[in-house]
Amino acid sequence: MIYLFFSLLLFVLFSIQTALFETFLLGGIAPDLILITAVYCGIHFKKNSGIWVAILIGFFQDCLSGGLLGVNSLSKGLSGLFFCALKDKIIVEGIIPISFFMFVTSLVDGMIYFLAMTSLLGGQVKAGFFFSSVILFGVYNAVVAPFLFYVYKKAKGWVYFKFPSQALKVI
Amino acid sequence: MTINARHEKSNLFFESVVVGFISPMQNLFLSVTKSTSKVLDHYFFLIDTSRENVRLLLELNRLSKENNELRERKKFLERTKKLVEYFDGDEKPYVIAEVIGYDATQWSKMIFINRGTNHNVEKNLTVMTDAGIVGHVIHSSTKSSKVLLITDSRSAIDSLFQETRTSGVTVGTGEKKCQMKFVPISAEVNIGDKVISSGLGGVFPKGLLVGVVGDAVKQKQELFQDITVIPAVDLSNLEEVVVILRDKEGE
Repeated sequence: MIYLFFSLLLFVLFSIQTALFETFLLGGIAPDLILITAVYCGIHFKKNSGIWVAILIGFFQDCLSGGLLGVNSLSKGLSGLFFCALKDKIIVEGIIPISFFMFVTSLVDGMIYFLAMTSLLGGQVKAGFFFSSVILFGVYNAVVAPFLFYVYKKAKGWVYFKFPSQALKVI
Repeated sequence: MTINARHEKSNLFFESVVVGFISPMQNLFLSVTKSTSKVLDHYFFLIDTSRENVRLLLELNRLSKENNELRERKKFLERTKKLVEYFDGDEKPYVIAEVIGYDATQWSKMIFINRGTNHNVEKNLTVMTDAGIVGHVIHSSTKSSKVLLITDSRSAIDSLFQETRTSGVTVGTGEKKCQMKFVPISAEVNIGDKVISSGLGGVFPKGLLVGVVGDAVKQKQELFQDITVIPAVDLSNLEEVVVILRDKEGE
């Protein structure tokens, strides 16, 4: 049941990301809900399951993107891995830490995509334009992430309440 | 009237007295009845009014939803009519598609359309509007397809200027504008010149409008000019597009 709930959540998330976020563009940039979710999974999921969930949602994002298949799986997987490995050593609670880590992760995510785009796909992106976009992307994600983390926290509470035994194994 | 005229007589004194006494009472009864009826109508029978109000509100909501749907439908038909009028003169088969989504990442300029292999939409087909080229299909599933926009950094269209016929390659930059490359420094390029597809490359048919020149910079030490091309289509505001299908002969 809990997996059904996650699937539904991902379905809604991807629908919002691909259909609605065009209306929230700021300077041609919209926040990446998938990246925020990957970071959340890395931090809050038990053991290493956050990494696999991050890779999985990265793969879905690849499928819904016109880029190279695997780039998002890699970048989201790395984000999941980073936070999964460091979740016991760092504190990612509260608005400022969440925003800070989200900003840094967005920069890394953007860089991975930039490298893949220019080296593997032969895309010709102006570096100046790309870096200014990445910074705006990071700021936008940093602003949205605390709110989304709050929503996920509430959803987690609900999942614990409804499916306590299943929830304990996963999150 | 005739009788009155003939037998005109004054009111009896007794009749006047009775009417004089009764009329205030009549007025009183009348006002009491009226006010009672008013109270009953406006306060005690308000349940009916309230129900009626709810029913009317629901009806109003339904009608305004219907109105909105009809307006949307009308606008959709107006837009598609423009597309159909534009493409009906063309001999090539085409299919109208709606834009149903955008790229899930920031960095790729791509849209999803609601037509796929079920509607003969295949990879490398041209997607455009009546204003000009939008992009080309890069992936097609049964009911939807991915379209790479001309502004994506991987997009390249072999193009030429409509007036001078000088050729070049229009590439996407990831921004809202494109760049035209490999235009010799000696070529005359003016702002506002129209850029069309040359037909080379096998994806875009010849003569489709790509955009107009927004800026052209000549630098002495360079072999080629820096030309900015503004896409003819407003790619941030797409709703319906046309996919140019292959002919039966496979052209």
